[in-house]
Amino acid sequence: MAFPREATPKYLLLIGATLACSALALGTAFAQGTPTPQPEAPATAAEATPEAGASDVAGGNGDAASGATAPEDAATGPTAGQTEGQRGAAEAAAALAAGEADEPVILTAPKPDARRVYIQDPAHFAAVTQQYVIDGSTGRVIGMTDGGFLPQPLASTDGSFFAQVSSVWSRIARGDRTDYVEVFDPETLQPTADIELPDEAFRFLVGTYQWMNALTTDNKNVLYYQFSPAPAVGVVNLEEGKFDRLLEVPDCYHIFPASPTVFYMNCRDGSLARVDFANGETQVSNTEVFHTEEELLINHPAYSPQNGRLVWPTYTGKIFQMELTAEAATFREPIEALTEEERADNWRPGGWQQTAYHRQSDRIYLLVDQRDEWRHKAPSRFVVVIDAKTGERINKIALGRDIDSINVSQDAEPLLYALSAGTQTLHIHDAETGEELRSVKQLGRGPQVIMTHDMDS
Amino acid sequence: MNSATTLRSILGALALSAIGATGAWAQEKITVPTEEGVAATEVPADAIVVNIAKMKYQTPELTIKTGDTVYWINNEVMPHNVAFKKGVVDEGEFRGDMLGKDEAYAITFNEAGTFDYFCTPHPFMRAKVIVE
Repeated sequence: MAFPREATPKYLLLIGATLACSALALGTAFAQGTPTPQPEAPATAAEATPEAGASDVAGGNGDAASGATAPEDAATGPTAGQTEGQRGAAEAAAALAAGEADEPVILTAPKPDARRVYIQDPAHFAAVTQQYVIDGSTGRVIGMTDGGFLPQPLASTDGSFFAQVSSVWSRIARGDRTDYVEVFDPETLQPTADIELPDEAFRFLVGTYQWMNALTTDNKNVLYYQFSPAPAVGVVNLEEGKFDRLLEVPDCYHIFPASPTVFYMNCRDGSLARVDFANGETQVSNTEVFHTEEELLINHPAYSPQNGRLVWPTYTGKIFQMELTAEAATFREPIEALTEEERADNWRPGGWQQTAYHRQSDRIYLLVDQRDEWRHKAPSRFVVVIDAKTGERINKIALGRDIDSINVSQDAEPLLYALSAGTQTLHIHDAETGEELRSVKQLGRGPQVIMTHDMDS
Repeated sequence: MNSATTLRSILGALALSAIGATGAWAQEKITVPTEEGVAATEVPADAIVVNIAKMKYQTPELTIKTGDTVYWINNEVMPHNVAFKKGVVDEGEFRGDMLGKDEAYAITFNEAGTFDYFCTPHPFMRAKVIVE
C-alpha cells in the first residue's frame, strides 16, 4: 500500500488560470454588471449579470475551473440567457473592474449531494481513461479523475468517498501489470488510499459493468470480480488499507451486497448465489432457478444497496425483481416493461447501462427502442418508466436522440441522466416530465457508465 | 498459447541427450508429446480419452495410472483447451493449446496426485485427473 500519489489537480490550476485569462478577454461585454469581488465565494450568475435573468445555474457552486470544462451551451434551460463561459467571463471582468488580483489556487469540488453524477469513460478500451465528476443540478464538470485500463467505478452510499478498481502497465499497454484500488476524497479529489492487488488476485478486465464490483453496505470493503482462472471475488479492506483475500465462488457473475458480509451473484445455472464471507470463511448457497435458458438477462441490471432491490431485465424487457437481504433473496412476480403490441412491433431494450431504479418512488427506468433482436447494444431513443410494484407504465419518454446509458439521481425530484457514447454528451432530464434541462458535452471518447450517490434518504 | 512446461521439456530433453543423464526430469509432473493439437484421427484406438462437448468435459473425474497419457478431443466448434492453475503441474500456470472441432491434445501424467484443470476462456468448465 502506498499513500498518496502525486495529486492530479495541477491541471485544475492550469485550467483555472487559463479560464481566468479567457474570461478576462471575453468579459468586457459584461463589465457593466454588478461587481462581485468575492473570489472565495463566487457570485451567482444572476448577481454578476442581472440582465441574464433567472437561470437554472444560478445559485450553483460557482468555481472557475468547472466553467473551463463545461461546454458553452451547457447548463442552460430554455429561458436562460447565459452560458457557463459567459458567467465566468462576467465574474472575472467584475473582479478586474473592482481591482481584484488574480490569485490562482487549486479548487475543491462542492460537497457531494444526491445530484452529483460520475461519468466513466472506458474510451473504447484505451489504456488510460477518465472519469468526469458533474453537478447534475447545474450540468457543470466539477472535477475529473484519471484511471487505467477499464477501471470499475464505485461510489459510497453516504457520499463520503468514491473509488475505482483499476489496472496499469509499466510501459503503458505492455510490461508489468499492476491492479489496484484507489479511493478519492470527494471534495479535493485527492487519492486517500492506493491499495495494490496481488498478482494471483488480478481483476476481470471487461467492458465496464456497473455491478461487477461493489462496496459492502457499510462502505468498508471493496468487492471485485475475478473471471480467470476461476470465478472468484476479491475483498479489499478499506479500513485497514489492504487486500484481504480471494473468495472462491461458483460459476456466477456480478456482485450485489446485502450486508457488510453478504452479497449475491447471478449464476450460469439460472439461480442467485448467496455468499457470506464473515469471520474469514466463505459460505455459499444457491437460490431456486428463477429464469430459463432462453430468458437472457442483460449485463446491466439496476441495484439499490439501500433497500436491496435488484431489477434485472431480459433482452425482451421482461423484468425480474428480487429483494436481497442478509438472510435470503425473495423473488417478485416478473413484470413486462413493454406491451404485447410493442413487442410484436419489435420494441426491445438496448444500449449499455439500460436500467435505472429510483428507490424513493419505487420506479424503474428502461432504455428501449425498435430494433432487431441481436442489436441489443445499439443505443435507444426512448425510456419507459414503470411502477416497480404494479408493473404499470407511468411514462414513455422520447429522448430525441441516441442514448446508450441511463441512471437517475436518488433525491425526491430525480433527474434522469441520459448518456450518449457516440456524441460524448450527458443529457440531463427531469425524470418526471422527461423534459431535457441541460447537457454536458466533451466527456471523453466513449463515456458509458453513470454512477450516483444514494444519499438523500 | 504454447506451454512453458513443454518448452522446458524439450530443452530438458536436449540437455539430457547431451549429458546422457536420466534423472533430472523425473520431477516433471506432466509431459506434453506435441505442443499443438493434432487431428482426432491421430488418437490411438486404445487411448484414454476425455471428450469435450456442450461446454463440458464429458468425464469430469478421470482416474489413471502414473505414466498414462490422456487425450482430450473437442467435439464441437467452440474452441476449448486444458489449463492448470499455478502450482498444479508446475510453479507457474500451464495453458494447453486451443482445440478446434475434432482436434485432440495429449498430456502424460508422470506423478501420482489429483490434477484439477479448466478451460482458459471458459473457467466454469472444470474437471480433474486423478493419477494413482
